[in-house]
Parts: sequence; structure tokens; C-alpha cells
Amino acid sequence: MSLTLEKIRRCFEGAIPAQIATCAADGTPNVAYLSQVHYVDSMHVALSFQFFSKTRENVIANPYAMAQVIDPDTGEHYRLTLQYLRTETEGPLFQYMKARLAGVASHTGMSKVFVLRGADVYRVLDLQCSAADAAGTVAEPVSMLPALRACSSRLAACADLGTLLDELMTVLAEHFGIEHAMVLMLDAASRHLYTVASLGYANSGVGSEIPLGAGVIGVCAQEHSPIRIGYMTSDYAYTRQRPGDGEVREIPFPGLTAPRSQLAVPITGGTRLLGVIYVESEQDLRFTYEHEDAFVALAGQLGFAMQLLEQSAERNEIEHAAAPPGRASGDTIVVRRYTADNSVFIDGDYLIKGVAGAILWKLLSDHAQGRSEFTNRELRLDAALPLPDISDNLEARLILLHRRLQERCPYLRLEKTGRGRFRLVVDRPLRLDAVS
Amino acid sequence: MLSESNAAFIQRHTSMSVGARDARNRPVVGRALGCRVSADRRLITIYLSASRAAALLDCLRQTKVIALAVTRPSTVESQQFKGDVIAIRPLTAEDRTAIAEYRDSFVAELGVIGYRAELARGIIAGDDDAVAVEFEPTAMFDQTPGPRAGTRMGAPA
Repeated sequence: MSLTLEKIRRCFEGAIPAQIATCAADGTPNVAYLSQVHYVDSMHVALSFQFFSKTRENVIANPYAMAQVIDPDTGEHYRLTLQYLRTETEGPLFQYMKARLAGVASHTGMSKVFVLRGADVYRVLDLQCSAADAAGTVAEPVSMLPALRACSSRLAACADLGTLLDELMTVLAEHFGIEHAMVLMLDAASRHLYTVASLGYANSGVGSEIPLGAGVIGVCAQEHSPIRIGYMTSDYAYTRQRPGDGEVREIPFPGLTAPRSQLAVPITGGTRLLGVIYVESEQDLRFTYEHEDAFVALAGQLGFAMQLLEQSAERNEIEHAAAPPGRASGDTIVVRRYTADNSVFIDGDYLIKGVAGAILWKLLSDHAQGRSEFTNRELRLDAALPLPDISDNLEARLILLHRRLQERCPYLRLEKTGRGRFRLVVDRPLRLDAVS
Repeated sequence: MLSESNAAFIQRHTSMSVGARDARNRPVVGRALGCRVSADRRLITIYLSASRAAALLDCLRQTKVIALAVTRPSTVESQQFKGDVIAIRPLTAEDRTAIAEYRDSFVAELGVIGYRAELARGIIAGDDDAVAVEFEPTAMFDQTPGPRAGTRMGAPA
């Protein structure tokens, strides 16, 4: 069996530095260390361009190079004969390498020194193991196909978005041993992602927001590219809002304070970004190229499923006779809504804002008029709601609202009554208070 | 000619990479399994595995130009030496002693930054068929990562 780049991707994790030899036009060789060799595909790698070095000068004049990478388990050396093709200074490959370099730099105490100027893309002309007899006995990476297959079957059986998200968290834990994970959905209008499901945190963090471009999750969403980092780096850490700084309208991000491994994978529907799957760990190098492959495949299935479930939820047009609202009892709850950002406070405590906040206010206002049964479709058609466009994932907004109410306000509930239909249950008397 | 501190720096604890090129200016890279600086500090002798560095040795025989990069893993202090190959020859008893002493220092050095001893020994495997390559450095460069990387380190002798 011949050697392939896929078989030696563990050598590209940055655990042991690689070397590169180049040759000047006058024939003088040069050898230098490489911070990063990045697997692009079975025929290409990209090398980090950080300084205007001799290596750089040489490959511009003479585009051939040889890189040597080292197996972090055995110390075996592999040599890649390379031909320089181009340098990318923006886009998914560049951003991915920039994030990984930040991890490697921080791991090696070089954060101030390592700045990515470009991703130099090379064609791999040849690949050899330095020990001729070892070429046929290279340890195969552990296959994640059985785990992927099991997850895929279980996700395929989910009939609504809420179940799909919960099942994803369960199968990631059961089949991939993931301890910390979340799913965030895109709010295109506000250029934020909001958490709709999580695994392994003291607080679920449902409703917490990450701006596009911020950290591993935000860069993944902005570039529609998976981002995987194997070491802790403050460059890609999420700062926490301190409680008690005035009126809080943020839900704290639940993630680890100093994750040592992070992997974010975009969920797309066609060319449109729907959201991000994020996993993290307190262990260095927890996620491999094989995890990345598997989660990209899972995200593909998730994207299709989310679109299908969204469409089927909205196809339902049957209006059911409204059940009479239940009798509310106990102390009156004050629900205050600020029109500026649609933030809603329950007895002074922040609950939610934005689209989900506007939806809740509409439901409560209608409920005050004696209604309690609703459909996704009517929400979609309600001109008063700031739903950005038809492609917005309304179902995800309702899940967010449902989960926030469950966590913070158990006397207000959204109960599913069928596909694309739900009921608002109110157990306590309410006073609605709109503040413009 | 190397300074005393250059000579002391490169012979122990460092990771050593060797660059060369073939007749068509295509570069090759390999790992040295130790090195020794002559008493007058004008020559560096490096050790290469005849089987693992076969292509590299072919280039050194053919074109005689060489680059040696040495880095101390715990500090990332790095230097590069370029020059011309004078001889490629079998090991002497002194060379074998130098290889053994270097191996122990390298395993200890990698231990400091958390690498297992078996991994460190795996990285410098292949000394059972090692040969010696003597070269005269004619240019020396500071290669410690950062803005000074690539700076020439003092006039060659």
C-alpha cells in the first residue's frame, strides 16, 4: 500500500516542528524550521509564511522545496517533495491557518513573534518515509466511519429540530466521547450566532451570542470553514461579561474559560450558513483531522435536515380550534419589553431579546386577547415581527425561546401541538409593560 | 571559523537539519544524528544515516554544497551554517563517542520540554549505518525565530 498524505496527517498537528530545504538561484541550499504544515487535500499542503525569510526568497526564485515532517508517536520522518504554487492572504485557508498558528505560537511561547502573513500553497510531487522499510507499515489513523455511521442513522430518525439538536449532543457524547459541545445558529441580520443546544456545561448558555468573526466559532461562521486548534490560545478565547455591570442583556457564553482544543464546523444549506457545531476540550490535541472529517460530514447531514424540517414545519396551514386559555393563578408577573432591541425582562430579570423577544411579545399580547394556539406559518407571515427573510430559521428561534423559558420562567411554556404548531401555556397572571 | 560559543552551542542538545541540492537545483532535507567541531573550529563534521539520508548523501557527493540548521528545542535559539563538503567518510571511534554523547544530550533536552525518551530516540534513529560528512562553514546566520532571523553572524574565516 503506498504512502498517502491522509495516512500521515498526525504529523501535521504541530506537535513537532517540521523542516524545509530550499535552494537559491545560485545553487546555495537553505534549511529552516516550519511552524506549520497544513493538509489541504490529497495533493496539496500549505506552509505558514510568517517572515520575509531566505526560504521565501528562494521559493519565489526557484519553486521547489522539500519538507520533512515527524510522526509525533514514533519519531519517524516523512519527506514531501514540493512545488510552490501560490500565496493566499485571505479567505478560509488563510483564516484556518492563522487560527492554528495562534495555537502553536501560544503553545511554544511565540505569540508575539508568530504572525501569519500568508498561506503558501504547494503541490506535493512525492512523499517518502525516511526508513524505507517503514513505508508499508505506517500506522493507519483510527477510522471514525463506524462512529459517523451510528450518528448519521440516529440523526436521520429525528422528526423535528429540537429532537435533532438534542440527539446530536447525545450521539457526539456516546459515539465520539465528546464532553463539551454546542450548536449555534446564525442571525444574519445582527451578524451574531446564538446558542440553541449545548452539552457538558454547568449552565446551558442557550441564547448566548457570539459575533461573526470572533474566536474559533465566529471565524468558522464567517469563512464557512472548519477551524481546529490543538492548543490553548488567548487570541481565540471568549471574554466573559462580568455580572453586575448595570442592566445585563446578555446570556453568559457557557464555554470553557481556557480550552486546550477547539473544533468548529460550519452547518450550511446550499451556500448559505445556517450555524456552527462547536466542540472543545481541556486536553491538548484532543481532536484530529479524522474528527474534522467526521464532523464536516455530520454537519452536511444536519444542514439538509434543518432545511427539510423547517420547510415541513411551515407547510402546515390547518388552523385548529383554539383551546380556551388555562386559568392562571398566583402572584402577577410583570413582563417588560423594550422596543429598541426587543429585549424582554420577567420581573426585572433578563430573559431574551431580538427576534425571539419579539415573538414572545406577540404571543403574550395575543394571549391577553384570549388566544393560546399558534402556527409557525402565521409568525412567518406576521409583518410586525422582524424576521429577516424567508430563509431565517424560525424553528430555531422557537427552540431558543422554548429553552430559555424552561430554564428561567417555568410558568410560561411553549408546548408543541403538532408539526409547525404550538401552544402558549401561562400559569400565572401577567402584566404586560411595553417601554419604547 | 566558528566562535567558541557557536561550537559549544551546536554540538549538544540541538535538533539538526541538513539541506542540500541536486544537479538541477532541487533541494533535499534530512536529519543529522550529531556533529563535532574540529579543534581549530574551522570544520564541522555531521553524521547522517546512509540508508535514511541516501538521497541527501547523493546530493552532497554530487554538488558538495551544504546547509546545516541547528536549534535548541527548549529555547528555540537557532543558527544556520553554509559551506562546502570536504569529505564523506566512515565513522571513527571518536565519531561514535560524539554520536553517543549527542544522543544522550538530545534525549535529555527533549525530556525538558515533555517528550518521551522513546520518541526522542525515534527522532534520531539510524546511527547504526551512519557516515561522517565534513564541511567547512563559510557563512553563518542567526536563525532564531523573529525579526533578526536570517542575520549574518560574523565574518567567516
